[in-house]
Amino acid sequence: MTAIIKTDKLTKSYGSHRGIVDVDLEVLKGEVFGFLGPNGAGKTTTIRTILDLIRPTSGRAFVFGIESSADPVAIHRRIGYIPGEFTLYDRLTGGQTIKYFANLRGNVDPAYQADLIKRLDVDPSRRFKEYSKGNKQKIGLVIALQHRPDLLILDEPTSGLDPLVQQSFYSLVRDAKGEGRTVFLSSHILGEVERTCDRVAIIRDGRLVKVDTVDAFRDLAHHEVELRFAGPVPTADFQGLAGVTEVAAEDHVLRMRVSGPMTAVVRAAARYELLDFVSREPSLEQTFLTQYGQETTQVQKP
Amino acid sequence: MTAELGRTAPRATTTSTPLLSRIYGLGSVYGKTLRDSRLAIVIMSGLLSSLVLAAGADYGKTYATAQARAGFVNLVHHFPAVLAGIYGDPFPAHLERLGGMISFKDAASAAVICGFWSILALSSTLATEARRGSLEFVLVTPLGPRVIALEKLAAHLTSLAIVLAVLAAASWLAGAAFGTLPGDEITAEAAIGFSLWVGVMALASGSIAFALAPLIGRNSARGVAGAVTVGGMLVYGYQAAVPAFSFWANATWFDWTSQNQPLAGQFDWTSLVPVALFALILFAVGVEAFARRDLGETTAIPWLTFPAATLGLGGPLSRSLGERLPLAVAWGAGIGVFGMGLGAAASSFGGTLADLSPESVKLFNSLFPKIDLTTAAGFLQLAFVQLGFIFVGFGVATLVSGWASDESSGRLEMLLAAPLARMRWAISSGLGVMAAIGVMTALIALGVGIGAAAVGSDAVTPMLGTLVLGLYAAALAGVGLAVGGLWRPSIAGEAVAAVVIVTFLIDLITPALKLPDWVHELALTAHMGQPMIGSWDWAGIATCLALAIGGLGLSSWGLSRRDVAA
Repeated sequence: MTAIIKTDKLTKSYGSHRGIVDVDLEVLKGEVFGFLGPNGAGKTTTIRTILDLIRPTSGRAFVFGIESSADPVAIHRRIGYIPGEFTLYDRLTGGQTIKYFANLRGNVDPAYQADLIKRLDVDPSRRFKEYSKGNKQKIGLVIALQHRPDLLILDEPTSGLDPLVQQSFYSLVRDAKGEGRTVFLSSHILGEVERTCDRVAIIRDGRLVKVDTVDAFRDLAHHEVELRFAGPVPTADFQGLAGVTEVAAEDHVLRMRVSGPMTAVVRAAARYELLDFVSREPSLEQTFLTQYGQETTQVQKP
Repeated sequence: MTAELGRTAPRATTTSTPLLSRIYGLGSVYGKTLRDSRLAIVIMSGLLSSLVLAAGADYGKTYATAQARAGFVNLVHHFPAVLAGIYGDPFPAHLERLGGMISFKDAASAAVICGFWSILALSSTLATEARRGSLEFVLVTPLGPRVIALEKLAAHLTSLAIVLAVLAAASWLAGAAFGTLPGDEITAEAAIGFSLWVGVMALASGSIAFALAPLIGRNSARGVAGAVTVGGMLVYGYQAAVPAFSFWANATWFDWTSQNQPLAGQFDWTSLVPVALFALILFAVGVEAFARRDLGETTAIPWLTFPAATLGLGGPLSRSLGERLPLAVAWGAGIGVFGMGLGAAASSFGGTLADLSPESVKLFNSLFPKIDLTTAAGFLQLAFVQLGFIFVGFGVATLVSGWASDESSGRLEMLLAAPLARMRWAISSGLGVMAAIGVMTALIALGVGIGAAAVGSDAVTPMLGTLVLGLYAAALAGVGLAVGGLWRPSIAGEAVAAVVIVTFLIDLITPALKLPDWVHELALTAHMGQPMIGSWDWAGIATCLALAIGGLGLSSWGLSRRDVAA
């Protein structure tokens, strides 16, 4: 498949401060790609470098096959972008702001623009400075989406949005995907990424920690297993089983972490009178936290 | 589950705040505000001291003999009504003394300059923090809103006291260093009295802004306080020329303290009491308004609104012009009205010149050679141009600052995400600033022309001369755009303001201190010719054009090379 975004050892330093280091990313056409990381991990720096708003210290970034520093205008013509933090013209109303950006781009379908305004519940008649944080965010989303860009680059797009508008936003992302467009979504909200994305990259301390599908992240996770026995807890039978770690007993309850297949644990448990068997499915958040604690870098090629 | 309400948590180790950081530093609201004011303290101390020292040096050397002093006194006493108030003091005392001369020429200016500082500081000390949200964090500390407001106010008072102490020392030094005749010395009492007067006047201006900022917002409060301050000085100064002003002049603190001219050795301490009380009451209003009103909730006062068509939604050039237009119109109209008033005063001045003694006429002509002061053009060259350069310069600083806010506020990131090359944005938006300067210049020219035409004088020459002000403004904008494009947008406006202030100081100090010509020629204003009378300095004009065009080019080149500010 065609790579819409591709970075090659992309590095950005701010003097003695770390930015990003050797980031290798590949975002494919038509996918919704999540970019996860804690605050200050380098998400925004990566995005700004991809968009040629800042220049890499080393390495290269390509969007639509064009090197970002070579012809940024050609790239910008086909993207929609909402920064993590922004401000617009205080004196203009929301509607005038949207119109101005439509004029800058050209080829905006007024019907689609009106539809976006309606779906995101925007009041375009108020001055920008009078909007709440969430309403300013909605104006930014309309600006990013109104020209139906081939690539949406969204830096924490749901920040400040109420849950209903968040649903509308997720629906718009699904629409974009349905139309074969690509979405690059930076977030630190794991539920958001889990809900909307096909693949996820995790960045930490400026370096990519992992890139994989959302499902793969779930599969990788350790299951939390809790067994309640009628009699004494046979701790020794479970220690040493393949994939089992952190075995701990308390009264008649045995807790453990299990990675990979559960068969050995089920067979061992079946030899005793068992009152309860609980296996908790991991959330992406747990996976993320587990991953965040790891030191190794594992980047799965698409 | 048992609730354990009211139970005191074990006492943990807590940090203590050193006394020094409470006074100056991050230990208290007062300390932090004072710390944030350090640059302003340095600038204001330097500006006011330079003003007094330069005036002392100038007068001490120019009027070193009793005969020269008598000529000067005669000249001032024969000033026409409209000129009597040009420095804001229509009733000067002891003009034969050095202190009297400094007081006549610069006391009102010092009070207004210091007043502007107080207006800026006191209008924004709470409002700016409220706007950016940091005040909410401060307000949820155990400090009450009144305490916060009072601490911020106290910090400004402390800053002002430091500046005034430096001013008092400079005033004393001016008398000691530049006095040439008996009575020229400026006593400690006179120096302190002068500083106190400047301080009280400044606080009166600042108190209006402080009281109004929580009610109508920072910018509107600044506008009202600035208008009251400048309007007060003009009404008081020009009451002899415009009889209708007399009634209003009585309501100004310039009038209340007219008999208090400490540098001239004339004291009226009690006249300061009503001004101080006025400020005190407004400070109390400001503190209460801040404490009682919802944070950040202000009532907009209706200003002139521009039609939607002027917003310029078509592209970056028109948007840049549309965004700057209200400010350009305000500056242009304000300076234009000033020019119109001076242009219209030319015939009055000409008539008075004819009544002067031959010695005074000779002295006058020696001071202003090549200028026919009986014409509107000549009078405008004498009275308008120098101030015009300063006003226009500060106007450009605000326009460039607005241009730079596209990047410093984060708008540019969204703009450049559109198919808009950096170079195109920089050139288009920079041209928008230049177009705004064009609007400002046209309004000034209109005002000057109307004033000159009103007295039947040639209007075309001074109107064309106003273009030189526009070129100077474009050159300053070029400097600001270059600084913003090459380095940091956040300092572009400040860079322009710095050039204006340095130029003003070079103009002021070089002749006074008899410094070499090349020092004076560093100031761009030294190369502007005498445009109001049709004498253009083409080298200066070429320099202005080069700075404007070069600045625009450097701005776009610089921006295309560096990272866009986050």
